[in-house]
Amino acid sequence: MLDRELKKGSAELLILSLVEHEPRHGYELSKLIDARSNGAIRFHVASLYPLLYRLEKRGWIEGRWVEKAGQRRRRYYRLTAEGRRVLAAQRRNWRQFVEAIARITGVEYA
Amino acid sequence: MPDEVEDGTRRDWAAEITRRLAGLRLGPEDEAALADELAAHLEDRYRELRARGLHDEEARQAVIAELDADDGLTARLAGVVGRGSPSTPVLGATRGGRLLTHVAQDAKYALRAMRRSPGFTAIALVTLALGIGAATTIFSVTNGVLLAPLPYRTPHELLTFWGTAPEKGLPVVDFPSGLFVPVRDSSRAFVSMTAFEREGFTLTGAGDPVRVDAAGVSSDFFRVFGTAPALGRTFLPDDASSDGFPVTVISHALWQRQFGGDSSVVGRTINLNGNPSTVVGVMPPAFAMPDDALLWVPLPLDPSRFNCWCLSVVGRMKPGVTVADARRDLIRTVDDFAVSRPDVFPNAKPGNTRIIAMPLARQLVGDVRTPILVLLAAVAVLLLIACANIANLLLARATARTREMAVRCCLGASPRRIATQLLTESSMIAAAGAAIGLALTVVAVRLVRRLPPSDLPRIDQVKVDGMVVLFAIAVMTLCAMLFGLAPAIRASRVDLQTNLKDGARGSASVRARRVSDAFVVIQVALSLVLLAGAGLLGRSFQRLVAIDPGFRAENVLIARLQPPYPRYDSDTVVRQFYDRVLERAAAIPGVRAVGLNMRAPFTRGNPQDNIIAEGHEPKPGEPVLVANTRYVTPGYFAAIGTPILQGRGFTEADDALSLRVTVVDETLARRYWPKGDAVGKRVKHQGDTVAGGWMTIVGVAPNVRHASLGEEPSLQVYEAFAQRTPWTMYLVVRAASDPEALLPALRAQVAAVDPMIPLYEVSTMETAVSRSLVTRRLTNMLLGAFAMAAFVLAAIGIYGVISIGVAARTREFGVRMALGARAADVSTLVLRRGVWLAGAGIAIGLAGAIWAVRFLRGLLFGVSAFDVPTFTIATAALAAVALLACVIPARRATQADPLTALRAE
Repeated sequence: MLDRELKKGSAELLILSLVEHEPRHGYELSKLIDARSNGAIRFHVASLYPLLYRLEKRGWIEGRWVEKAGQRRRRYYRLTAEGRRVLAAQRRNWRQFVEAIARITGVEYA
Repeated sequence: MPDEVEDGTRRDWAAEITRRLAGLRLGPEDEAALADELAAHLEDRYRELRARGLHDEEARQAVIAELDADDGLTARLAGVVGRGSPSTPVLGATRGGRLLTHVAQDAKYALRAMRRSPGFTAIALVTLALGIGAATTIFSVTNGVLLAPLPYRTPHELLTFWGTAPEKGLPVVDFPSGLFVPVRDSSRAFVSMTAFEREGFTLTGAGDPVRVDAAGVSSDFFRVFGTAPALGRTFLPDDASSDGFPVTVISHALWQRQFGGDSSVVGRTINLNGNPSTVVGVMPPAFAMPDDALLWVPLPLDPSRFNCWCLSVVGRMKPGVTVADARRDLIRTVDDFAVSRPDVFPNAKPGNTRIIAMPLARQLVGDVRTPILVLLAAVAVLLLIACANIANLLLARATARTREMAVRCCLGASPRRIATQLLTESSMIAAAGAAIGLALTVVAVRLVRRLPPSDLPRIDQVKVDGMVVLFAIAVMTLCAMLFGLAPAIRASRVDLQTNLKDGARGSASVRARRVSDAFVVIQVALSLVLLAGAGLLGRSFQRLVAIDPGFRAENVLIARLQPPYPRYDSDTVVRQFYDRVLERAAAIPGVRAVGLNMRAPFTRGNPQDNIIAEGHEPKPGEPVLVANTRYVTPGYFAAIGTPILQGRGFTEADDALSLRVTVVDETLARRYWPKGDAVGKRVKHQGDTVAGGWMTIVGVAPNVRHASLGEEPSLQVYEAFAQRTPWTMYLVVRAASDPEALLPALRAQVAAVDPMIPLYEVSTMETAVSRSLVTRRLTNMLLGAFAMAAFVLAAIGIYGVISIGVAARTREFGVRMALGARAADVSTLVLRRGVWLAGAGIAIGLAGAIWAVRFLRGLLFGVSAFDVPTFTIATAALAAVALLACVIPARRATQADPLTALRAE
């Protein structure tokens, strides 16, 4: 698993990216992170939801209760306009950061 | 069902979450929404883990663990949501709060654990409920009969006493008024003393004539007990009269029954045996001295009379006086008096007096004390066995849950916390068991109270009261400790490294196995003690009912009659009355034989007298033999079914004018005329100074048991009713079939002779005999049931422990068999452990039983406390069942498939 600090720094970016194109609920997010990172990054409830609430509080994402027939209601999060701007900025920062690291350490950016 | 499960788990998730949110001071809506969202997540995660093959509890633990990962939800949410700041004290930060939360959490968890294994829960609950129910029931009997104080003022000061002369065959010698008065007046240990005598009256003037048990009592009787009347007054010193009974105090029961609780009863005149008597008082319901008295009349005490040794005495000791002090004082007083009156006590010497004194409460309880205490001990043993069983079940479960406990430990639960958790679980099982047990007790006590009061003294005191509930709670606590402690201690010693290793799952440590083994050994040992005890009592009972009472009880009805004085004022009119009753009774269709006896066997009271055999007169200072004296009509022997062994019975020719004759029993005949030539010899009453006092023996009858089958045969002398006529007689009717069917006809015939004379103490002879066995039968039944239960529990215990052992060693057995061990080798391995456990248990049990049976001695009849067959059978039965309990798991062990066993790893 990734180092904790590393994970912490990247967490906001991960969430914002995942809700960029479609609204997703918390569990779905944790599953996607797990699956796409091949298990390298995991968010459990105890860290995921506080993060989501923090992002929501900042106005970057917006949660909405959705009820579907035969299922329990879930809260779906979508990106706000503000969130979209933050995401773009963070993506840029992250790329610069990774490239800088790569130049120093010789680690290839995938 | 699935919906229910889902609901249940969702609720659980929400609760887990809400608890963690408590410190955040969220608004209720925010909190609910948050909980809802997180619960959905947890449920999804749980399902995912289950789908991956985790067990329910593992998945649950994992999910909860995630909830608390990364510093935990609470800490992370603080500052993000709600009004609280990060420094807000979060859940459980205060000590008390934490404790409370833990208890609630533990309780909830325990409930869930119980729900999750209904089989275990059911077995534990049923075992406990029955155990605690039985214990509490026996305790409520103990409490009511032995422990509850008598309903009189400072009851521990009340002492009852009587003389004893075992060398004359008289274990109990009551007081004559001539002795009572000086003892009362000169003893120093007593504040007051009263004498009383049982009476029986035919009560008229209040509805149909009824027969009532009563007591003639000295005037300070009620003051000695310290009981004030509920209505009116009790007796005054000048109430006593040698001529009839001018005044009466009635019991609450009689007041309700005959007078409808009418308070104008005081001052009313009733008729006792045809004599007018004024009711002056009504006693409160609790007053029951002597036990079945329904009314009391004043008893004149004549200090010059020594002819009736028939007074029972109760004294109130001065405060601080002990029973032994009082007894010494009484002996001194009686000695002094006896020496001063050589006219009455010609052989008196100081130190000759023997007196038995005991607290009244003890005497009232009488014979049932030992059985009750034995049953209480037995039920305690049973409860111990039950606890051992549950402890083993819990241990087995704890073993299966080792991993769960280890996970909890990893997540930060302290060993103490886990132990508390497990103790909570066992406490809750104990509490539920106690609750059901208490409910069973309520039912059982209701059944016990249906017993007739004559079978169990003070039965009205047997109830489920505060003491009983307290006892149940104490037992419950003790049980929870007994069966909860071992698993809790074991769990708190969780060794993380070993237990988290996959292979360790479900296998018990050596120490845990030893504890289980010890429990089983204890169970077997205790069961053997109970089995041996129950066996001894059972054999005693067999011996007892096999005894020939000297008569044939089947199809016999007995009923008592008393022609009232003064309407019947001479032997002649009394005899005429009885002759007519016998004649009419004999004519009833279905009657085979009728007769009269002054005291039918197995009825209360036993008239006795000093009897002297001609040629065997005792020398001065030698004790005179005492025999039961019975006055019977010629038809009596046929009616009761007592054969005449030698000579003849009585005939109509044996009347007041002819030679006085007697039939004696073989005990007396053999005692004086061992060669079998008693017929023709003569005996007489010691005090009979009339010239014709000698009675010629015309026949010999077998010994008849008079009060109980187990009693020592006493000497008996029958005399002809026509030659000596008591007023009160038992009518004995032998019927062709069901004797009770004759009762209406019998009543009608007696009423036809005299409508004012009721039949009373009506009973079949069989009932009378079996009544004498009630306590014993009840004790046997209960002890037998306890022993059976113990037996079954021990068998289950062994089975369980061996089974678990086999299950844990499946792999080992598989490997052994793969390496060439034969089935027989493997089953021997299993059986060896069973035999060892059972053997150890039996050895300890035998030692325990040999120690414990001493307490049964008083209850045994015709068997030694160390009866070898009983012990052998009990041991063999237990060994057989123990072996059987091992055979099944042993067979299972041999079926261990090496492949499966290894693959399971």
